Amino acid sequence: MIYLQGIKKSFNQLPVLKGINLKIEKGEVVTILGPSGSGKTTLLRCLNFLEKPNAGIVQIGNIIVDSEKATKKEMLAIRKQSAMVFQHYNLFAHKTVVENVMEGLIVAKKVKKKDARHQSERVLEKVGLSDKLHHYPSQLSGGQQQRVGIARALALNPEVILFDEPTSALDPELVGDVLSVIKSIAQEGITMVVVTHEMSFAREVSNRVLFMDEGVIVEEGTPLEIFHAAKEERTRRFLQRISGESFFTPLKEQVN
Amino acid sequence: MGKAFDLMLIIEFIPTLIQYLGITLQILAASIILGLVLGIAAAIPRLYKIPILNQLVILYVSFIRGTPILIQLFLVFYGLPAILLLLFSIDITRMEAIYFVIITYAISNGAGFSEIFRAAIRAVDYGQTEAAFSVGMTSRQNFFRIVLPQAVRIAFPNMANSVIGSLKDTSLAFTIGVMDMMGRGDTLIAATAHALEVYLSLSIIYYIIVVMFEKIFSKLEKYFNRYQKADVTAVA
Repeated sequence: MIYLQGIKKSFNQLPVLKGINLKIEKGEVVTILGPSGSGKTTLLRCLNFLEKPNAGIVQIGNIIVDSEKATKKEMLAIRKQSAMVFQHYNLFAHKTVVENVMEGLIVAKKVKKKDARHQSERVLEKVGLSDKLHHYPSQLSGGQQQRVGIARALALNPEVILFDEPTSALDPELVGDVLSVIKSIAQEGITMVVVTHEMSFAREVSNRVLFMDEGVIVEEGTPLEIFHAAKEERTRRFLQRISGESFFTPLKEQVN
Repeated sequence: MGKAFDLMLIIEFIPTLIQYLGITLQILAASIILGLVLGIAAAIPRLYKIPILNQLVILYVSFIRGTPILIQLFLVFYGLPAILLLLFSIDITRMEAIYFVIITYAISNGAGFSEIFRAAIRAVDYGQTEAAFSVGMTSRQNFFRIVLPQAVRIAFPNMANSVIGSLKDTSLAFTIGVMDMMGRGDTLIAATAHALEVYLSLSIIYYIIVVMFEKIFSKLEKYFNRYQKADVTAVA
């Protein structure tokens, strides 16, 4: 379970998060939508203290941290509750695929090397990369790299996996692969918070959709409520703009 | 000028001179190792912006870069005993000249290495650190397991250049009376008056050693670049 209370964050006096309150139940898949600059990625990064909030309380599982007086030890403890999948994958460049997945298990979770290797291989099989165990990230396609990123997060068996625009840096034809992997782990009941621009993913996979703008959560609800009966004008305008783009997709397909 | 040029002497001098290669390599090895320690120590205040120490290191690096190594050598050779005598009443005037050479080259290498390390550590993508934090690593674990190994790869070509430069610079040690290859060459010239032949022998020896170093470094560089894309690998 995740619980946020009064999360505030500014960069150089520019407020990016203006007091976020949020509760996420175990097993929930929550997507965060919003225009760029709305603070959705910052919110996600505040959850594992890659950004330290200026104020507010962060709770993940049974670890509670008051961000104003968060110590290094507390930040480490809360980071161990979560794992993150990055937009630009951020795989450890000097480690092979299997070593990337093992690293957190060995170093942070103190799992024995042999056990870590078994676990890692099992997770990599799940994301369809059994044949790439000893490749370096530079030898993989973007989609494969991101699946390693997902495996790295999954292997830690965290309370929650945070996805920061996991498909934004991918070639369009590779997006599907990665999304289907994320879908399949969503169905296993792992708690996930996903910042994304993939509306179809938000609609099909998430239990709850948050719409953020200008540092606040404007509206939240089930995908059905948000996509078909948004209460707020700002939400409707945003979704219209997005669907306006997808209006052309069938045309593009015809051209191809 | 000396006597008439004799090609055969070049070959004949080589075995005599090469006996002193050991001294050259000793100076090199000792000054590189001490320089590494000094370089790491000097890079830390720069990376973490430690006040006062940071400024001192900047001054140290810019002074070393801005003065010829020969003058640094004389400064240490004459200055260090004077300072130690004055401040601590320690008399090192009888210390062997080779130690002054090692100290000078360590100080000089340390300045160069500290800049190379600093740049290399900065050059590692911050995303790597974020990923390390996201899997629950501490700052220390991140530094030693993720950042440092990648920084070594980035730093290596510059380090290799420094080592080769340093090897050649050791030829100045004879100016304060160290009997290395160059020093032995000097005495050979005094004894035979065949200066050109001695310098040609010396250049052959230095050249062969440098080429061997380059070969070894290029192999090592390939190893360090094993995880990089083929088109990024730069082997000099």
